[in-house]
Amino acid sequence: MLTSIKENHLTNKGQELGMMYFRVAIILFGAQLVMGLIAAIQFLAPGFLFELFDFSVARMVHINALVVWMLYAMIGATYMMLTDETGHEGVAIGLGKLGFWLLTAAVTVVVLVYIIVQVGPGTEASLWLIHEGREYIEAPRWADIGIVVVVLIFYFNVFATYMKGEKTGIMTVMVANLLALAGLYMAGMFYTDNISMDQFWWWWVIHLWVEATWEVFVGTLAAYALIKIIGAKREIVEMWLWIEVLMLFGSGILGMGHHYFWIGTPEYWWEIGALFSALEPVPLIAMFVHVLYDWGKEQGIAEGRGETASVITNGPAMAWIVTNAFGNFLGAGIWGFFHTLPQVNIYTHGTQFTAAHGHLSFFGAYATILIGMMYYGLQRAYGVQRMKLTFKSKMGIFLTTFGVMGMTIALTIAGYEQVIVERGEMGATWNAFFVAQNLPWYVQAQMWRAIMGVVTLLGFIYLAWDLLTIGKVSKEAEA
Amino acid sequence: MANKNLSVWTSIPFWRRSAAWVTGFASILLIWLTFDTLGQITMGTDDDLKNGVTKRVPAATVINYKIGYEMSTKRGHEVPTIGEKEPFFGKEWSADDAADLLHLGKLTSQTKNCMNCHTLLGNGAYYAPDLTKAWIDPAWSKTGPMMAMTGKSTKEEAIAEFLQHPSTYPTHARMMPELGITADEAKGLVAFLKHMSSIDTNGFPRNFGKEEGSTNAH
Amino acid sequence: MIEPLTDVVPSFFAMLNQGPLTLTIALHTVIILPMFWIYRSEKKRLESQE
Ligand code: HEC
Ligand code: HEM
Ligand code: HEM
Ligand SMILES: [Fe+2]
Repeated sequence: MLTSIKENHLTNKGQELGMMYFRVAIILFGAQLVMGLIAAIQFLAPGFLFELFDFSVARMVHINALVVWMLYAMIGATYMMLTDETGHEGVAIGLGKLGFWLLTAAVTVVVLVYIIVQVGPGTEASLWLIHEGREYIEAPRWADIGIVVVVLIFYFNVFATYMKGEKTGIMTVMVANLLALAGLYMAGMFYTDNISMDQFWWWWVIHLWVEATWEVFVGTLAAYALIKIIGAKREIVEMWLWIEVLMLFGSGILGMGHHYFWIGTPEYWWEIGALFSALEPVPLIAMFVHVLYDWGKEQGIAEGRGETASVITNGPAMAWIVTNAFGNFLGAGIWGFFHTLPQVNIYTHGTQFTAAHGHLSFFGAYATILIGMMYYGLQRAYGVQRMKLTFKSKMGIFLTTFGVMGMTIALTIAGYEQVIVERGEMGATWNAFFVAQNLPWYVQAQMWRAIMGVVTLLGFIYLAWDLLTIGKVSKEAEA
Repeated sequence: MANKNLSVWTSIPFWRRSAAWVTGFASILLIWLTFDTLGQITMGTDDDLKNGVTKRVPAATVINYKIGYEMSTKRGHEVPTIGEKEPFFGKEWSADDAADLLHLGKLTSQTKNCMNCHTLLGNGAYYAPDLTKAWIDPAWSKTGPMMAMTGKSTKEEAIAEFLQHPSTYPTHARMMPELGITADEAKGLVAFLKHMSSIDTNGFPRNFGKEEGSTNAH
Repeated sequence: MIEPLTDVVPSFFAMLNQGPLTLTIALHTVIILPMFWIYRSEKKRLESQE
């Protein structure tokens, strides 16, 4: 990965820029995991780093690094496919590079301030300079404005290139969807004294990102990747893409109601949230079927032609994409559906159960396919015809997936305990909370979460190592 | 490719148009619903409180009233109740002063990052208790342990004292850390917590504080 | 059949919310119905191309 740009196989500057974004993304992913482990240890040993580096700080960096690395990888992947899809060399890649450095400098400063300054006095200035104290989108306001500027540069690049080049179905969806994705960020940029209003708009960013625009983004990536990696037919892939857009937006937009059950919003959201969000898993099943079906079909056609080789030209990328198809359905579809009906959610709302879903969904739906795109980028950067899974690729994908799955199961068990004892039996008070937190099965589950977290981190080390080496190794093997 | 295919189900334009329609219309519905909801969750006024008008999110001056959480047979779940007046930090707060105090409290809740340990209205982190109804938590009541522990004679003073020096009054191994909260900020935070407990959350959390004693579940 | 309204404010959507599923069925219906029209016009277009 380090030498990916020097190799000079990348046919255009947009893809170079893509690789630059990927590199930062993978570093932030590592930072995310370390922070998660600190927070997980604090559940078990509350004295660990107490009043030095408290849970709130570790968690803030954990989930911010998560959001930021995913946005980086998404921007990277978009630059990666821009030229291929439009047949046009990017319009203002130089400006794009400037944007990259600005963003990266801003992210560095923001993270250092989170870690060193941690909290500020109760003044507006703290919101401007330190953080905004709202989950996932804590970035201080100066950085918000910076992010908007950089995203505008990025969007300008994509849009102008799209207008000049060929307008494929994939790019049409991409351009429209990115506009919504970027615009939604602004719903999270203002301050209000009214906590209900605050949470109302906060979900516009979080929910409409992960359950609408990001999912559609994944749809476009999968469509592009299937064409490139297994040679799927464009007409078929694009038809699926439109069906996915229809179902994802049709269920996901009003599915937002599942966050409006208990935050002060009217009762009618019970029904809207329940039914629309209950349909959200449907497109995820469709996406799953689509990936596996196309793979089987292309392989069958190839074998019909008498070819014996696999149709997959990038083993690790395809492995991650198949994991994505499965993980998206499992983490978002199944684990999401578990707690999406108000009758259930009144008890599970804001428990370890939510954390279980949050982990498997973010990992299954987004981490996986974005890592897949990194492998695809490497294949291009090193000019490799067929990239095969190495031992390290296999360990990377197996251990991270196994680890996250293990954490999810542990948190689900902890969640059941918490829901039944704290919420069901004892009525959710301070005392009820701690009775549930100290139950033996709950403590054991937290222990397993920490262990599985270490497994995940091990997997990440293999993954990062593989990303650093696989390009050269594959090229040498082909030479 | 000659288009011999007559099935609409495999026609890309059909799916594209349907996707555009469904997305557009769902967005319009969402915007319409948003306007309706915003109207309902805008903070009420001091007059609403004086005239007994029920608001989902009452005015900041709700801190001048007793707040409860009772089963409503009409609604089918618990709702916050706003009772008679009670002093808050020893006085009655004017509309402006109350609003300023709430402003300071909400601002501090963000700058001190309460949400990355606690949940507010059920959203946030799961490391520490949900604060939605913390104001009416039995632990802070006259019969609970916290007033005696902090040596204060009112609930609001007890909470404010705790927030300024949380690790001086630990009740569990998992403690809340010192966050450098000043006396003023603590007052603001208590106002914020009291205001939050008066928000109509459609019955979340259910059975809050109804069960006493422990459990033998494992 | 018609149930008493329970919400705080009797808004349009609260009124549609009549016990099990009425509100959501109404919304789903207005979303799905126009697709029949899209289907038919697309069918016509395909046939005229023939
Ligand atoms: C680093 C994590 C952390 C942060 C940040 C934090 N708390 Fe806490 N808080 C805790 C823990 C842990 C407890 C339980 C303490 C105990 O039982 O000894 C607690 C207890 C409380 C309680 C008493 C519990 C109850 O239900 O009434 C209140 C009130 C409270 N915190 C309010 C706040 C406010 C307001 C903020 C933000 C200004 C805040 N906390 C920030 C961890 C945190
Ligand atoms: C990839 C897609 C998804 C991602 C990344 C995701 C992620 C998350 C996260 C991180 C939270 C916790 C938010 C917080 O911190 O408060 C959450 C909450 C929730 N999600 Fe998802 N989600 C996805 C899809 C879904 C789907 C498809 C459903 C329903 C079928 C669903 C249902 C819910 C519900 C009901 C909650 C609220 C939990 C609570 O009340 O505490 N999610 N989601
Ligand atoms: C080393 C592995 C990891 C560990 C030990 C870990 C640990 C944690 C901890 C302790 C929390 C706080 C939960 C709470 O508030 O109670 C958390 C939150 C979260 N983590 Fe992780 N994590 C790890 C990896 C990941 C990965 C790989 C992802 C996704 C790709 C992820 C996504 C999240 C999300 C979305 C939240 C917020 C959840 C919510 O609010 O519901 N984490 N994690
Ligand atoms: Fe959601």
